[in-house]
Amino acid sequence: MAKWDSVKPERDLYGSNLTETPTVDARRTEEVVEETVETGAKPLGLWADTWRRLKRNKLALVGLGIIIVFLSIGVVETAFYQAHLHIRSSSDTRANSHVAGYLAPYDPNEVNYALSPQGVGSPPSWKHPFGTDFLGRDVLSRVLIATRIAMLVGIIAVAIALTLGLLLGPISGYYGGAIDSVIMRIADIFFAFPYILFVLLIMSVLGQGFQNVFIAIGVLGWASFARIVRGQILSVKSMEYVEAARAQGAGDVRIIFRHVLPNSMAPVYVAVAMAIGGAIVTEAALSYLGIGVQPPESSWGLMIAESVQYLASGNWWWLLFPSLALTTTVFGFISFGNGLRDATDPKLKE
Amino acid sequence: MTSYIIRRLLQLVLVLFGVTLITFSMLKLVPGDPAVALAGKGASPDRIAYVRHERGLDRPFYVQYYKYVERLAHGDLGNSLYSGRPVAELIREAAPVTIQLAIAAVLIELLGIPLGVYSALRQYSFWDTTLTTGALIIWGIPVFVLGYFAMYIFGLKLNWFPIGGAGPMILWVVPAGFQSLKTLVLPALTLGLIEVAYISYMQRASMLEVIRSDFIRTARAKGLSERQVIWGHGFKNAVIPVMTIAGIDLGALIGGAIITETVFNRPGVGLMIYTAINQRDIAVIAGGVLFATFFFIFANLLVDLGYAWVDPRVRLED
Amino acid sequence: MADHLLDVKDLSTYFFTHAGVVKAVNGVSFTLERNETIGIVGESGSGKTVAAMSLLGLIPDPPGKVVGGTLMLDQRDLRTLSDEEMRAVRGNDIAMIFQDPMTSLNPVMKVGKQVAEAIVLHQKKSNSEARRMAIAALARVGIPDAPRRAEQYPFEFSGGMRQRVMIAMAVSSNPDVLIADEPTTALDVTIQAQIIDVIREMQFEFNSGVILITHDLGVIAEIADKVMVMYGGRTVEYAPIDEIFYNAHHPYTWGLLSSLPRLDASKKVRLTPIEGQPPNLLFLPEGCPFVGRCPHELPQCRGEWPAEETVAPAHGVHCWIPVDQRLALRAELPHFKEPAA
Repeated sequence: MAKWDSVKPERDLYGSNLTETPTVDARRTEEVVEETVETGAKPLGLWADTWRRLKRNKLALVGLGIIIVFLSIGVVETAFYQAHLHIRSSSDTRANSHVAGYLAPYDPNEVNYALSPQGVGSPPSWKHPFGTDFLGRDVLSRVLIATRIAMLVGIIAVAIALTLGLLLGPISGYYGGAIDSVIMRIADIFFAFPYILFVLLIMSVLGQGFQNVFIAIGVLGWASFARIVRGQILSVKSMEYVEAARAQGAGDVRIIFRHVLPNSMAPVYVAVAMAIGGAIVTEAALSYLGIGVQPPESSWGLMIAESVQYLASGNWWWLLFPSLALTTTVFGFISFGNGLRDATDPKLKE
Repeated sequence: MTSYIIRRLLQLVLVLFGVTLITFSMLKLVPGDPAVALAGKGASPDRIAYVRHERGLDRPFYVQYYKYVERLAHGDLGNSLYSGRPVAELIREAAPVTIQLAIAAVLIELLGIPLGVYSALRQYSFWDTTLTTGALIIWGIPVFVLGYFAMYIFGLKLNWFPIGGAGPMILWVVPAGFQSLKTLVLPALTLGLIEVAYISYMQRASMLEVIRSDFIRTARAKGLSERQVIWGHGFKNAVIPVMTIAGIDLGALIGGAIITETVFNRPGVGLMIYTAINQRDIAVIAGGVLFATFFFIFANLLVDLGYAWVDPRVRLED
Repeated sequence: MADHLLDVKDLSTYFFTHAGVVKAVNGVSFTLERNETIGIVGESGSGKTVAAMSLLGLIPDPPGKVVGGTLMLDQRDLRTLSDEEMRAVRGNDIAMIFQDPMTSLNPVMKVGKQVAEAIVLHQKKSNSEARRMAIAALARVGIPDAPRRAEQYPFEFSGGMRQRVMIAMAVSSNPDVLIADEPTTALDVTIQAQIIDVIREMQFEFNSGVILITHDLGVIAEIADKVMVMYGGRTVEYAPIDEIFYNAHHPYTWGLLSSLPRLDASKKVRLTPIEGQPPNLLFLPEGCPFVGRCPHELPQCRGEWPAEETVAPAHGVHCWIPVDQRLALRAELPHFKEPAA
């Protein structure tokens, strides 16, 4: 999971951490510039400031654009999917099976052997820009409907992980002591597994199916969020304004949620962006391995797994398009996440 | 450093305990009665009860866990539910293939360090932009996607490399001969390229942070040449955090190796797990996961100790 | 023109940023002799650090550039030197001590080696000889048990001790000019005096000229021979130390003095802060940068930068207010009401 964790790891889990060293803490040589440029400038709001700096990062903007496009496709296709399910369950299946999506030109599950003459699909054409697969299904439509699963997994799994992390992280960081040790040692254990193998193990117990993918990814993701939030809380909890709130008699919960968390969320937002990218890759990997989304549902990972069995016959389109969709989406989240980190990192202010 | 090592070893014990406990719980949580499975098809209730008792499956959870750890300590990972062969034996056969791939990928991964440093020293130049953009794109490509494209282009179309399998090895993991090396090239490059992208990105960030730090300014103010400043003062400081990142990322690398094997049909631990998934052979899955996890834990321990040795702040702390 | 150790004329250093040109240092001139200490005072953003970094040729380019002026060090114009010649000057002829000793030393290199490095470089000594000299330098700046301490890393030193290491490093090659950029700001008050003493001793030992950059007039009073007050990249007043404290002519200098407590005041004088914010260097006015905050602003202040006016020997000021009016205004300020002792 390391690649998808947005914080630099604290070196050893107990002792000297890197934040005490100049390597991480150092001010820039350009402080001379900073000193002059910042002087007298009106302080911008945190978000306005972040956006101003994000705007200058072209890769991050591209990432944001990609996220918006795929998220929109996901939303539209989900709406279609609901309607589709409704029609299918309410009347004759066959009569209504030719339902195209709002975006998808064809029914993603419509089998048409005529479009797969040798049983290996047909290459891209005007009618089927992404070609068809071994069952003659339209690849474009399947890629579009699979966006729904990718986005659902990304958002729901990360929401589960984030909720757990936002519960346990503050407890750990704010109270410290034994509770902190217990929570952080459990997190250590979760980090000890190679992530994908841990998910695999859980999935082989829970059984295949995409609801279980949400659970496995969500439940395993808490540790990195808890660690980030804990670290942030440790760094702000002794600041004067928190002391001031405490002196005014504010309760713990109020202090955590009103004073501490709002001032320590920036790295969490970054982590969310990265984690969604990570969850989408994990779902694809699980579906590719055959324990995630099951046929005839469509998922990018599953489409890749189906296509590679016929790779030797040269049906590149069927591998290329789901791969492109997957890679582009993940790039979007990573790129945006990295840009957001740079834009919110106080050390990189100029 | 002594106290660091002691703390690190204590943590290791705790982690090993946690990992085995989780793995054991997973084995217990699998739906179905293991006694029924072990007794074989159509066994009589008496026979099932006998197996249950004989295997200690009627004992309390903690006793069973204790027995499990005891068996692990003796290298007994149980038997495959499918073939009946000992899991440890399956792993012993498969491990060199996986470890060979992981080591090759780590060696390629190290290229990320000079690339990242180069990028940082020429920030915003054409090559920096190209490398950084490329790194961000490649970093996000799932290893199986990259693997199949490599296989399609270099294996199937250009026919430069075999599309799968693994060759004989000497000294446990070293490819014996050219043909054996050729089977390693595509999987190692696939996995290695993704790691290079990630490490070079991290190295660039770390180096950028370091060359803006105060002590670099001090070094410049001393009159040192730019080369002395960068390599004498900057480099070590910039590599230390990347070592940590690389150590933690070993987990992702091992996971990646497991998946890469399924792409290139390499008979390693990954392919073993993949096959077991299809056979619903939880004993083999759990054994394989446990093996890979132990491998990761100990490799990470080595990286940590190496790191502690390089960084005086950890080495001299008591 | 008399020969000075260091003669800076019309130094201008700009930063070219996306937002526009930042005139961080704008036509600054001063001189420095051996054994002399000049204090450069001003708020953060007044250009004092940039001026010092310009002397060392360490302005990050891009975005920064020294765009004008001459920097004569012993008859050599530093601006005309090649990169290599400039490196021979840095740490050898001009050495610098930085503000934050916690981050200014390499965390993974032994302090002895960090000091020895400069000796090897500039005095062409062997490693073992340089090492011996480094230990001697550490001992000279008051680090007890120097041979053992030289083998330690910066994290094993306290802030004050680290700043001593920085000084040892800076003086190891017997520099002509020692620049100390806020050397005591990051330290405890008790340590500050010790560090100032060490700097003084080193100056005495090596006959160096010292440039002390600070916002703390108290430190200036203790050590400086003359003072340059900077504001918005400009020198607003330049005078011998006594003149600054007892005969200041610029309203900004008054403001600085009024925000200092006076021990010699017989009755309590209220400390008055300077109202307003330092100027945004991106949008500096054509004239005096202090307009807007200056309580005595005149219409011409916004027009043009005033020429230097000599109000006493070696005491120059840039201000549009006529001198008699200035003296009258000053006499009204609470800080100046009490006659100087």
